Amino acid sequence: MKKKLILLIVLFISFILVSCKEDEIIIDIEDDVYMLLMEAEDLSGMAEKTKVLIMQDGSLGLPFEYQGVIITYNSRNKDIISDLGVVTQPGSCWIESRDQQGLDTGEFDHLNDNWPVVIDVTMTYEGQTRTAKLLFVVAPRDGFTCDKYLG
Amino acid sequence: MKKIMIGLLMILSLTFLLPKWNVFGADLIVYTDDDYQRLHAVIQHVDNVLKYGHEYNEETDLLPDAINTLTGEPAKWTFPNRAQVPYADLANQQNFLRTLVGLSKVTGSNTYKNEAVDILTEFMSNYQNPNGLFYWGGHRAVNLDTLEVQSTEGPNGPHELKNMMPYYELMLEVNEEATLKFMRQLWTAHFYWNTTDMNRHGSYSTGYDTNVFGQTIPDDVIVMDNFGNPIIPADSPGLLPFVNSATDLAYAAFALSDYTYDSIPAEWAKYLMKQYNLASNPVTGMTVYQFKSTLVTKSSIECADPAYTNSGCGDRVARQFRDFGTIAREANVAWKNTQAIYVDNILMLLEAAKKYGVDHFVDWSRQYMEGYLENAYIRVDGKNMIIPMFIDGTVTYGYVVPEVGYFGPSNMRLDYVPMPTSYLLPILRTILQTEEDSDRVKLWSYFRDIVYTFGLGDIGELGGANPNLNVDTSIDDPFALMAMVELYDATKNKEYLEVARTIGNNIVREKFQRGFFVDSEIMLYSRLDQPDTLALLSLDAVLRGIDLAEMPFYLADSGYIHGYLLADDGVTEDRSYTQNVIYTKTIYDWE
Repeated sequence: MKKKLILLIVLFISFILVSCKEDEIIIDIEDDVYMLLMEAEDLSGMAEKTKVLIMQDGSLGLPFEYQGVIITYNSRNKDIISDLGVVTQPGSCWIESRDQQGLDTGEFDHLNDNWPVVIDVTMTYEGQTRTAKLLFVVAPRDGFTCDKYLG
Repeated sequence: MKKIMIGLLMILSLTFLLPKWNVFGADLIVYTDDDYQRLHAVIQHVDNVLKYGHEYNEETDLLPDAINTLTGEPAKWTFPNRAQVPYADLANQQNFLRTLVGLSKVTGSNTYKNEAVDILTEFMSNYQNPNGLFYWGGHRAVNLDTLEVQSTEGPNGPHELKNMMPYYELMLEVNEEATLKFMRQLWTAHFYWNTTDMNRHGSYSTGYDTNVFGQTIPDDVIVMDNFGNPIIPADSPGLLPFVNSATDLAYAAFALSDYTYDSIPAEWAKYLMKQYNLASNPVTGMTVYQFKSTLVTKSSIECADPAYTNSGCGDRVARQFRDFGTIAREANVAWKNTQAIYVDNILMLLEAAKKYGVDHFVDWSRQYMEGYLENAYIRVDGKNMIIPMFIDGTVTYGYVVPEVGYFGPSNMRLDYVPMPTSYLLPILRTILQTEEDSDRVKLWSYFRDIVYTFGLGDIGELGGANPNLNVDTSIDDPFALMAMVELYDATKNKEYLEVARTIGNNIVREKFQRGFFVDSEIMLYSRLDQPDTLALLSLDAVLRGIDLAEMPFYLADSGYIHGYLLADDGVTEDRSYTQNVIYTKTIYDWE
């Protein structure tokens, strides 16, 4: 009987310890993953060049990994910024602007040359995913054309 | 020994059961002193509004739209002839009426509801035009000195409601005949049955139509082109179906059908809302502010000046943003008037789905919200923002407007648009009213990011598991409060309730000033339509175990007065809104 009692007490304490331990682990992982995914957007440096006008070809230096978070990019204008974050300056302006009568008086030349490009970002860690967006502005290359009035 | 073993076994069993008890125990809430202090602040505010509001003119039960928190006097509209008129515009007091009823619910005293009944009784008995329209809205109010109707838009200002969504349940209780007549005449005065045009302005001269809703519902206005894209007709002679007016029309029709058991008004409301759905972009899912463009009725000479923005010169976005081609239409703008589209309209759609059984409105709400957030929502410098774009996803960020026009001055550069906290409610309510978890995932993930970025912490996984909320948040916002209360109500996770309490405490600390709720400590006027008290009462209700469905529900606080007034220079005539001339005044502006 005494052995049974000891066994029961050990079993009881084990249950309590195991259940406490599991709870702590689950909560920590859940909290950490979401925070890590937020951190990946805020601290990985992916948004570094969203504040400047990009005036040359080449890599934006986008991070593809941050503390174990895998980061992928999907550009909405792949001709200008590829999914790998490589810039190819366009050969034409973004928008040709004219007055409200549609007349090209020259007054609005170069008003809207630079292209806004949105990139959709996916961040993944241990099966959890977050999305984000980046917006870069890219200037057309030297000697660009601007004869694409849509109005 | 046997007893010890039985005891241990019982403890062991209890240990296994405990987690489940925690869930059940979520309803066992201790009402704290802080909880009482918040309610006490609401009671003080309401008592002060009633005291000072009634004191000004004891011959009426009507209250002013706003009260000067330094003097207790009503806010006044200064007409171009310098007459200063204290005004009562009941369309702008709907949240106060809801607050009064909510306060009666949580206190168990009918005193407050009776005040609301008295106010409405006087208003509905004395300020309804024989044609059924009430004297309220954007251009009409009651002069609290003379108790005469006053127009702010010339001598005969029209009837205008934009997302005001009156408290019809109470109005029907107070004066059934007047309310039903109003709901019917709202359509007669604003909707053109034969052409499906709509006018935000309704005339007080339009006769009451006993055969309202008697016409056959016509074919859809919106048809698709060969590529499956909606064709927005440009045939509206200045009568544009703005969604903010349509939202009020639809809400009235649903309430009317619900009350009379006549399904026809609701069918018209569904027809009207369907046009916005048909006009939405088939690829992005984003929807429109209007489903028609204006017919050009003015000559090219008249319209040569870009500063002349009369709608008779055609679609005002097609004029000012013509560089973008055919997508540039007023209907397709997704950076302006978005509160009307993605907040007020969606809250009405969801209310109609919940109360009146229009289930497909939940799907539409999800389509609109998902489309908008997926395409345009962005976090910039730790803030929730919207990328300006047209509804097909054409980005307009950085665009410099060449010439002046309806949307702003020349050389205006389009930048990110801040996302206000009011977006929390339509997103959350869409999630909560969506049946399948798999359909909730995308919106929850945006909602989670948006809440986090507003400084509330992590709401956790879909369904409310494992939140890691910022219980010390400094946010003092009624929409954040309502969102946390509604999250708690749906999940019974007490962590949401604790954050709700923190937000509630913040609201009282920051906004309860001089005995009134104001937008911030320095603001002069306390506005009756403010949503803070209603939000605080929804928190108080769940703390007391009152079903949220029993409480008056927040739908909008868009009330305003628009019209002619004396400019700040004290000499010239200006045309503006109460939001610009009254609710911007601070205590330092008062001499």
